[in-house]
Amino acid sequence: MDTSQLLKTVSFIEMGARERAFALLDPGSGHELIGPFERMKSPWLEPQGIAAQADDGVVVAKGSIGGQPAVVLAIEGSFQGGSLGEVGGAKIAGSLELAAEDNRRGVPTRAVLLLETGGVRLQEANLGLAAIAEIHAAIADLRRHQPVVAVVAGTVGCFGGMSVAAALCSYLVVTREARVGLNGPQVIEQEAGIEEYDSRDRPFIWSLSGGEQRFRTGLADRYVEDDAAGIAATVRELFAQGVPAQHRDQRIGEFLDLLARVDTARQPDGAYARAAFGKGN
Amino acid sequence: MEKLQFSFPAGPPAQGRVLAGVVGSGDLEVLVEPGQPGQTRVAVNTSVDGCAWLWQAVLERTFTDPGAAALAVEINDFGATPGVVGMRIHQALSELNLAGKA
Amino acid sequence: MNTLEQPRVWDRRRSEKKRRVALVDGLADGKVIPTGSIVAALESLIGCGDRVVMEGNNQKQADFLSRSLAKVDPQRVNNLHMIMPSVGRSEHLDLFERGIARKLDFSFSGPQSLRISQLLEDGQLEIGAIHTYIELYARLFVDLSPHVALVAGYKADRKGNLFTGPSTEDTPALVEAAAFHDGIVIAQVNELVEDESELPRVDIPGSWVDFIVVADRPFFIEPLFTRDPRLIKPVHVLMAMMAIRGIYERHQVQSLNHGLGFNTAAIELLLPTYGERLGLKGRICRHWALNPHPTLIPAIESGWVESVHCFGGELGMEEYIRARPDVFFTGRDGSLRSNRAFCQLAGQYAVDMFIGSTLQVDGDGHSSTVTRGRLAGFGGAPNMGHDPHGRRHPTPAWLDLLQTDSPLERGKKLVVQMVETWQAGGKPTFVETLDAVQVAKDTGMPLAPVMIYGDDVTHVLTEEGIAYLYKAGSLEERRAVLAAVAGVTPVGLKADPSATARFRERGLVAFPEDLGVERSEATRSLLAAKSVADLVTWSGGLYNPPARFRSW
Repeated sequence: MDTSQLLKTVSFIEMGARERAFALLDPGSGHELIGPFERMKSPWLEPQGIAAQADDGVVVAKGSIGGQPAVVLAIEGSFQGGSLGEVGGAKIAGSLELAAEDNRRGVPTRAVLLLETGGVRLQEANLGLAAIAEIHAAIADLRRHQPVVAVVAGTVGCFGGMSVAAALCSYLVVTREARVGLNGPQVIEQEAGIEEYDSRDRPFIWSLSGGEQRFRTGLADRYVEDDAAGIAATVRELFAQGVPAQHRDQRIGEFLDLLARVDTARQPDGAYARAAFGKGN
Repeated sequence: MEKLQFSFPAGPPAQGRVLAGVVGSGDLEVLVEPGQPGQTRVAVNTSVDGCAWLWQAVLERTFTDPGAAALAVEINDFGATPGVVGMRIHQALSELNLAGKA
Repeated sequence: MNTLEQPRVWDRRRSEKKRRVALVDGLADGKVIPTGSIVAALESLIGCGDRVVMEGNNQKQADFLSRSLAKVDPQRVNNLHMIMPSVGRSEHLDLFERGIARKLDFSFSGPQSLRISQLLEDGQLEIGAIHTYIELYARLFVDLSPHVALVAGYKADRKGNLFTGPSTEDTPALVEAAAFHDGIVIAQVNELVEDESELPRVDIPGSWVDFIVVADRPFFIEPLFTRDPRLIKPVHVLMAMMAIRGIYERHQVQSLNHGLGFNTAAIELLLPTYGERLGLKGRICRHWALNPHPTLIPAIESGWVESVHCFGGELGMEEYIRARPDVFFTGRDGSLRSNRAFCQLAGQYAVDMFIGSTLQVDGDGHSSTVTRGRLAGFGGAPNMGHDPHGRRHPTPAWLDLLQTDSPLERGKKLVVQMVETWQAGGKPTFVETLDAVQVAKDTGMPLAPVMIYGDDVTHVLTEEGIAYLYKAGSLEERRAVLAAVAGVTPVGLKADPSATARFRERGLVAFPEDLGVERSEATRSLLAAKSVADLVTWSGGLYNPPARFRSW
């Protein structure tokens, strides 16, 4: 992007969850379900001394995308690192389940997941885990009818059980600032040791789990500028493509073959991962 | 974590409702809805203890007009400074005013 | 004449220097001390009780020499009087714990502020005084002339010609005081070259330098003046809008220094947007005494900035500076030439305004960053943040602060304290009594370590508004005007609302609405760059942020 483009684009990353969700829906088509004024807060945070956000950090926006019925589920990364608890998790899982129901009744409701999340909210532990498992099942169900599109833009990225959710989606859209990974950098450093993985080395982290790297190693489908209009257009374009012939997890044989050929004796870096997985990307 | 209640004299209820902010570190969210006639009530849920007097002082300077629309305000706070609190409340109230509903 | 009197000796210093230099004859190859022999060399070249200048400042540190000095035998070298612009590294204080050094004159301590306090309490360290930078350099030529100066550079040749490049910083001032009064100058370098032609340029001539040593690793340097735009909050944007409208525009501020902080970073990033909208380009902010803040890039690229003179460099800005020689001061090799002494002088006499932040302000406008248990020192702020009575040349802003028609009145430099009424962690900025007062009592200082005195402060800007202190007619009125913008702090709660209303009418206090600043407009979308990546884009890819600032 050059300076003149910079001044014209509207940053998607700068937006909060609510604004992002409505930015993707057709203008004027959206309304919020189980919004903040319904006070579906987490019952678990205040007893632990944590101020609870009225929407539990998840926005459900129902409307249309490209004229077709759609629901956007947006996680607010600024609240508790976007971590999922009982209520927020239920909002996402429930919305996806209702979308699948719609399809079975002949209404082509599709879903977009805006993922800024560290995964399970530790303060809610098993409830968060259970909710994420339900989200996985609901994605697997809905994606038989309609594409499920995930967008990871930053600054939080998508980690933990929700990275598995991202991987289950039909299409994954990422920006340069995005990161997608199962374990967070500090956890990897703790487990593997600082010589192998230094969590303070930011370029290193992005070289392995950043948006561009995920795109080049075939684990993300679109690599886009941080531009709200552009991201909305990309989402519409992906829906127009329809359900892919095979989802990434269904190509497991392919990925297992690639993994089998990885030289585990050498320390992998971004370049090696691209060579091993990227088919020359 | 503390739950605080404040009330200030006000006029007829506002119309419409508005939300501003997020419960991020050093930040807060402000939910504003129509209140009972004659009174603006503010409920504060804050992760910081011992600052009831500070909230009183800040809110007192905000809800000074007994003729202004009556509001029901909920604040969920994660350690915001008074400056940030003032800005978020102002953001919420001016959105309400812009919508011509206060 | 008494024939038993000895004739006075007039070249003691010179003889002593000669004696010491001869001691390392076998060790050194000409001027070059082998890396492994540095400790032995220091033990010969430094005498007990010497005044030793140790280079270390905000960014550059002569850390090989400081680590080596901490290894000398305290039996051979002790009781040193250290003179240090910045006490930043732990080995600086190991010197005192080990008995190598006894007394300290310094300017800034930052990360070591806690340990200095503790050593002082334990009686292992004696403080001469805390200074502002330029004041410390000045004393090197008066009563603190150094016996030894330990400095750092990138490269040297065998003749001792030094290349200090973008990180020249304090080196010329420190070296001059030693070189021309028979002190011994020792420089650590990253690399030794054979000939002057291999140096990009010469920053310090070889005849000023006595010894060179190649360090075990490149000298320590930190990017201290880089602010990530993502961390700028709407309240910073609000204060920045008020600053531009209520101060920069009002007084036609042509030249300035920005103290470090997110507030000032917000101002820099608002010039191409908010400043542009107000039609201020070319009328304000043309000349800067400033480190190369990456957040200034959009304003430079948009044509606001005619010149920037720098105290030091900033990691990642090298290529950008190289490509903008009309704006920055660069050498024949194309790289930045920084010079803290001259930049501080510029910030003292040659700019219209200083604007910065602080931790505590009392009701009279005195401010300090010294709090209980931490002796942080002053750095450059007292110098930038005072009205220089020696100034004579007028500028529109300097004259704008005149209060009478008298031809004998002086103009004033704008000194602005820009600060939120409350700090993070529930601490009020505005307090009845500065912590510094108690710290002075506890540590036996004759005066409280005040950073900027109230009578030098012309404006106080908070998220509530601007107090135009320079307009106040009396001390009483000053206090009342300050209290009017001090929010719900102990000082602010004393403000009388009807007095505040009258101050607003008379223009001694301005709230945002009085300045035409819309609070709801104060959002991050007004920032010309919202992230470090945006700054790189603005620079056309020339800015190369250090790893810690990258999100890619």
